[in-house]
Amino acid sequence: MPAGRTVEGTMLGKLDWSAIPFEQPIPLIAGGVVLVGILAVLIWVVVKGHLPYLWHEWITSVDHKRIGVMYILLASVMLLRGGSDAIMMRIQQAIAYQSQGYLPPEHYNQIFSAHGTIMIFFVAMPFVIGLMNLIVPLQLGVRDVAFPTLNSVGFWLTATGALLVNLSLVIGEFARTGWLAFPPLSELSYSPGVGVDYYAWSLQISGVGTLVAGVNLVTTVLKLRTKGMNYLRMPMFCWTTLASNLLIVAAFPILTATLAMLLLDRYLGFHFFTNEAGGNVMMFMNLIWAWGHPEVYILVLPAFGIFSEVVSTFSGKALFGYRSMVLATMAICVIAFMVWLHHFFTMGAGPDVNAIFGIASMIIAVPTGVKIYNWLFTMYGGRIRFTTPMLWAVGFMVTFIIGGLTGVLVAVPPADFMLHNSMFLVAHFHNVIIGGVLFGAFAGFEYWFPKAFGFRLDERWGKLAFWFTFTGFYVTFVPLYVAGMLGMTRRLQHYDVAEWRPWMIVAAIGMAVLSIGVICQIMQLVVSIRNREALRDRTGDPWDGRSLEWATSSPPPVFNFAFHPDVRGEDAYWDMKLSAQQQSLDHEEPEYHDIEMPRNSPTGFVCAFFATIMGFALIWHIWWMVILGGIGAFATFVVFAWRDHDEYVIPAAEVAAIDRVNLEERRNLVSMAGAI
Amino acid sequence: MSDQTHMNGEHDIAPGDEEQHSVGERIVGYVVGLGLALLLTATSFFIAGTDLVWQPSIPVALIVLAIAQMGVHLVFFLHITTGPDNTNNVLALAFGLLVVFLVVGGTVWIMGHLNQNMPPMDQFIRMHS
Repeated sequence: MPAGRTVEGTMLGKLDWSAIPFEQPIPLIAGGVVLVGILAVLIWVVVKGHLPYLWHEWITSVDHKRIGVMYILLASVMLLRGGSDAIMMRIQQAIAYQSQGYLPPEHYNQIFSAHGTIMIFFVAMPFVIGLMNLIVPLQLGVRDVAFPTLNSVGFWLTATGALLVNLSLVIGEFARTGWLAFPPLSELSYSPGVGVDYYAWSLQISGVGTLVAGVNLVTTVLKLRTKGMNYLRMPMFCWTTLASNLLIVAAFPILTATLAMLLLDRYLGFHFFTNEAGGNVMMFMNLIWAWGHPEVYILVLPAFGIFSEVVSTFSGKALFGYRSMVLATMAICVIAFMVWLHHFFTMGAGPDVNAIFGIASMIIAVPTGVKIYNWLFTMYGGRIRFTTPMLWAVGFMVTFIIGGLTGVLVAVPPADFMLHNSMFLVAHFHNVIIGGVLFGAFAGFEYWFPKAFGFRLDERWGKLAFWFTFTGFYVTFVPLYVAGMLGMTRRLQHYDVAEWRPWMIVAAIGMAVLSIGVICQIMQLVVSIRNREALRDRTGDPWDGRSLEWATSSPPPVFNFAFHPDVRGEDAYWDMKLSAQQQSLDHEEPEYHDIEMPRNSPTGFVCAFFATIMGFALIWHIWWMVILGGIGAFATFVVFAWRDHDEYVIPAAEVAAIDRVNLEERRNLVSMAGAI
Repeated sequence: MSDQTHMNGEHDIAPGDEEQHSVGERIVGYVVGLGLALLLTATSFFIAGTDLVWQPSIPVALIVLAIAQMGVHLVFFLHITTGPDNTNNVLALAFGLLVVFLVVGGTVWIMGHLNQNMPPMDQFIRMHS
């Protein structure tokens, strides 16, 4: 292997003591604190004897609900990491006027690269995939996803990627290239360190996990639906899940192939994207954005689905224009693949190409506009309850419209020539990603939390969190629009232009307000867990919901539904509630059957363990360890493929006992509603 | 999960599940497929080296043979048919083809136009010499 330069031949490849950044206090202290925190939690878990519970109920679980919760937990922890990076950048730019600030350039470059990478791949992606995992099988009225063990593998591989990125904080360094690692900067000649390798291998491994999740969810929506659940009776969130995962299946292989070519350049001396020997850096831009633009819609479509559910529930009305919503979703799914050049208008293409892609970029705003009007008309004439999820939804509509309008602005090539790579662009994509994806994730979190855990979240802290985040967002990012208009480019470690300074200070203040929002969110969780008995939801339907996830208890039993619900129209559960009130619920005991469920399996965890070893070894050129990890992962797969018992039976009596409790609560609910 | 397989009432089943035929019929299907695939491969090699046909038509002929080869694989080995039980597979294939067409076609077009705003190379060299 030719690439190792200095310590070729040692047992640990490129790894030695110089990899630990002893001279940089910030990452070392941060890493140390996190390490102590993890150790403390681990010791607590072991001492308290929670380890068997964690292993049997969570780590090896193939239950889609548990996996969904773990995805969301991963995303939340990574949100704190990515958020800390954001705070450090805002402080740096607030003080680095005619000075070096407090972050050395090479450290600052790592921070903005890690911020983007973490926020997209390890916050936004796991958050939306987690919500889809948790809710889609429930909404479809089925007992699990199509491939339960594969689902677990997907989650743990994503966690591997997140682990490797965070490992780079203490061992070695992270990429200094921005979140998409453009060559030639990311090539060996300009980035000889392990930073880009950490970046690329984390994304390769977690990319496999994401692809697996995509295949699983597409199959689930297409093949597993309860009786009568036609495509045009599926809740909107299932439709957006289908569209989003179709995009994952189509787009993520492009990312994998592109990064594989970059890695071939770096490891085996290929010349796909180098400056010399016939390499073409523009091919990297082209390919990475052919993945990158669909990725935007992979993230935002599920958020659109969440808002559709939330707006319809809290307006007490069926979703306005359901079919136009489906059409808009699928239109976005296709047009998402026709706009990627707008990320590099400035890079030399002629007017024909730029004009066509500019027009396509404006056209994709049309189905999005259709959705906005549908939500507005759903609210129109409804009895709106302004609960926390609804606040996030309304906040989203306002914020996303502004973000969308600035998006249409930069879709005009001549305007983009002025604004490309400026702070205006930074403000624009934070406007749509925070205002769209993050607000959507929070809305879904608040809305479905009672379903997952059986108690509501505290409304007072939730509303505080919303208002601080909402206000903080505007105070942070409107100044960045202005700074962009004043000519400030992105990723500046320091600057000498006096006009930019006040805007950077305002943005830093906004960041502080945003942080208070995050603290409120954590407080909400703490307060809600402490008051969980008072906030307990015994009905399984705390919001007067409309779709099938509310038809089962909270938290749902492992098999979700004792009987497959019979769906007769859109808003399946709403119709059931109406007809139950009219017929005053027949009290006859239904006949219960045994239920077969997939057995738990450590396959995912063990695979990810070996993948972590392999990824780490590849980054540091420790070839024997690469082989070890590879053999381990493959052997795990073989053991799994040859196992004999993959299902266990829940006896009818146990199903009956669990379901009777649920039915009793529900009868009380209906009779109470009938009395009113 | 076996009890969910046929739940949605449509006759829409996964690839590989749809074979209700006897082993003999299936083997015949695979043998015919293999024969056609071999024939198309042999023809491609033959055409590439022959002077029996008009020379400029050879690349076109190779493309046609390649597409036919894909068709044979899809029909005989991947069992993509036009039957009502195969809608998902056909739609998935169509979506895949559309995406490949958009990405590959778009890439060729974009990369061909990428140097439009650059000065011609000879002019560039003259400017700097």
